[in-house]
Amino acid sequence: MKTIYALLICLFLASFTNAQDRYLTKKGTITFFSESPMENIEAKNNQVLSIVDVSNGQMAISILMKSFLFEKALMQEHFNENYVESDKYPKATFKGSILDFENISTSKTKIKVKGNLTIHGKTKEITIEAMTAKKDDVLKMTGEFFINLVDFDIEIPSVVKDNIAKSIKVSFNFNHEIYKK
Amino acid sequence: MKIRKIIILLLILAVVGAFIGYKMYNKPHVNVASESADITITANKILANFSSDETTANTKYLDKIVQVKGVVAKVEKENGKGIVTLETNDDFGSVICHLTPEQSTNLTIKEGQELTLKGICTGFLMDVILVKSVIVN
Repeated sequence: MKTIYALLICLFLASFTNAQDRYLTKKGTITFFSESPMENIEAKNNQVLSIVDVSNGQMAISILMKSFLFEKALMQEHFNENYVESDKYPKATFKGSILDFENISTSKTKIKVKGNLTIHGKTKEITIEAMTAKKDDVLKMTGEFFINLVDFDIEIPSVVKDNIAKSIKVSFNFNHEIYKK
Repeated sequence: MKIRKIIILLLILAVVGAFIGYKMYNKPHVNVASESADITITANKILANFSSDETTANTKYLDKIVQVKGVVAKVEKENGKGIVTLETNDDFGSVICHLTPEQSTNLTIKEGQELTLKGICTGFLMDVILVKSVIVN
């Protein structure tokens, strides 16, 4: 799995033809939010790696599950040990493309992104909307979407099923910078 | 009389139980600053470990408090939080340490200086990532 992944990243990096087209961030933010009658749970990850090639719209995102920080230590423990099993599946990934990448401009534009999201070892194809703007050396991308826990085989024990939403809101905020050697 | 005693005992048990439950629910996060490091290593070595065998490195370093020594390549601030990048011999990879909010104020670190930090290792993307980092010296 690791080799395949390394190979994919290498291929991805190698497939860039023009250095001016690659944008990268190593400090992207992903937040998820679960709203339930019992309690609201929020976790934030500030170490997301995201790479975009604006010449063909290709995108690759890599997320460390253990980088999600919760307000309560116990929630973080349950999340890692019981729900996403981050020792077994340390990363979540997204690989896909911006469908209408030619529309990206200096003003805020709505775009569509389609690709495969892998969490907890399960892959699902998703299509989401995002806002983007490219100015000078910065390519911004923000947006939010919902994921269903059942799609990724994440089981919530019945004792706490009222505390955790079945559909989780995921927000992202990436400030890609132009990639320089 | 006996029933009354039992009821009182049960009430005490319930209060103690609730208290323990509440304490567990509010269990504090690991305080990196006051804990001693599980592993002490150089930035070069930890990156080499991850890039040669990520799975083994994951079992060794994930969730551990790792103390890393290296030369500062970059200091930046994102949303008020400091991020220190330690350079390695590798062209692509480095060790990125995200500082705690308390550590992020009055940052006097300069590029090129040697620095030791400790933080919780969350894994490896292109770089080794440490969160909740504090500066040791």
